[in-house]
Amino acid sequence: MQGPLIEILARQGITRRTFMKYCATLASLMALPPSAGRAMAEAMAAAGVATKRPSVIWLPFQECTGCTESITRSHSPTLESLIFDVVSLDYQETLMAAAGHQAEEALHNAMKAGGYLLIVDGSIPLGLDGAYSCIAGRSNLELLKEAASGAAAIVAMGSCAAFGGLPHAKPNPTGAVSVSDVVKDKPIVNIPGCPPIPVVITGVLAHFLTFGSLPELDKHGRPKAFYGETIHDRCYRRPFYDQGKFAKTFDDEGARNGWCLFELGCKGPVTYNACATVKWNGGTSWPVESGHGCLGCSEPDFWDAGGFYKALSTPANPLKMASAAVAAGAVAGVAVSFANRGKKRAAASAHETTTLADLEK
Amino acid sequence: MPLDAIPILAVPQGLHSDERSGNAPALLREIAEMLRRFLANGETSAIDLHALPLTPADLEWLREQLGGGEIAITLNAEGESSLNETACPGVWWVTHRNPNGAVDSEFIEVADVPDLVKAHHEDVVIGLDHLELLISDLSKQRAF
Repeated sequence: MQGPLIEILARQGITRRTFMKYCATLASLMALPPSAGRAMAEAMAAAGVATKRPSVIWLPFQECTGCTESITRSHSPTLESLIFDVVSLDYQETLMAAAGHQAEEALHNAMKAGGYLLIVDGSIPLGLDGAYSCIAGRSNLELLKEAASGAAAIVAMGSCAAFGGLPHAKPNPTGAVSVSDVVKDKPIVNIPGCPPIPVVITGVLAHFLTFGSLPELDKHGRPKAFYGETIHDRCYRRPFYDQGKFAKTFDDEGARNGWCLFELGCKGPVTYNACATVKWNGGTSWPVESGHGCLGCSEPDFWDAGGFYKALSTPANPLKMASAAVAAGAVAGVAVSFANRGKKRAAASAHETTTLADLEK
Repeated sequence: MPLDAIPILAVPQGLHSDERSGNAPALLREIAEMLRRFLANGETSAIDLHALPLTPADLEWLREQLGGGEIAITLNAEGESSLNETACPGVWWVTHRNPNGAVDSEFIEVADVPDLVKAHHEDVVIGLDHLELLISDLSKQRAF
């Protein structure tokens, strides 16, 4: 693998214009201005991969392999897998041909060299000294600490690695925690989602290759490019929310007309992810387009955040309310008032509004 | 069970998206401003249409307003892309499709010609090499 990326691509039959087109789309997906697509194409095309391909180690812990499935079954594999060709994936248990001692040797060689990008999917169980999840007799905790020590940066892939995920759900029998709960001295990028969107990992890699740095992160350690706006803000059904047109059940007139799913429990307004723009299955559709509200799978503790079908602004126990949350809830409450003023009046006299943030407590 | 036995009716495609959000008219003013900047100092610019909350009906309306121009370019690169000039010269409607025909991204570009259309110098060099090779082959044949 020698020469600038554009030459490697040319050898694979990928023309410059194809690559520029891909970068324009990638920049659009990353919510970067259109001019960034050109900058990205130029920088990546010239990116010298002559010396040494960046090494990537991928460790799976307490996980369901859904994240790996999401990435490897991405529908436009040609260019995205070529981006992966630019890195050297030195260890990935599910994908590597080697097994046993050979696999462990590849891992140790890569770790000895240091400066690699470490991708982790799955949470790390701390209960019973980590005995709940072991590889070759060593606990995930031990493996993570060892692999993290030589890493240049860590990508926590999926909600389990990023936030503890489903294993962390109450009562958390294995004592599962996130990568950032264990590793404190390395830059960590969280790419949550259950699973995360394939192009997000490509986007983070592209950013790393283009600008030589990790993308800008939000307070949860997520790349702002993909997690900068809520599902709700980018939702094509947003105009119906603004007009106060809501589906009340999954088979009523409103549902058939494609109205807003807010009252059916859509967590779009409090969920930061790129589903509304990137979509799934090669841009075929996404949950809201298929008629189901957002579950909020890229948010911490979404699994313990109350019912998936409970509207964000619902009557709740007033004793549990924090005053700041009342203000936030009031904004969401406007939507309900459009739909059912009488219900709102009754609710206001007996209840308070609540938000996902309150349900997480 | 046949599909029509399910008592839930599928909505014919496009029915829920035939309402305009009212966000499109503002774009005309933005494009006008982009054209003014282009005339003043040659600054090219683009709008990412997928970055804005527009319904399919909005896009259709915008497309109708801008109209069709004299030039329509088709690019075959991992799926078809169309780069069409609108009735306003210098304003291009660019649509990138994937190999399945689904729209990947969509832009309005203000430029003489979209960047993507121009031949890159390094590619021209490769083309010239190829041509010189052909010419030398031809002259060899003539020698025999």
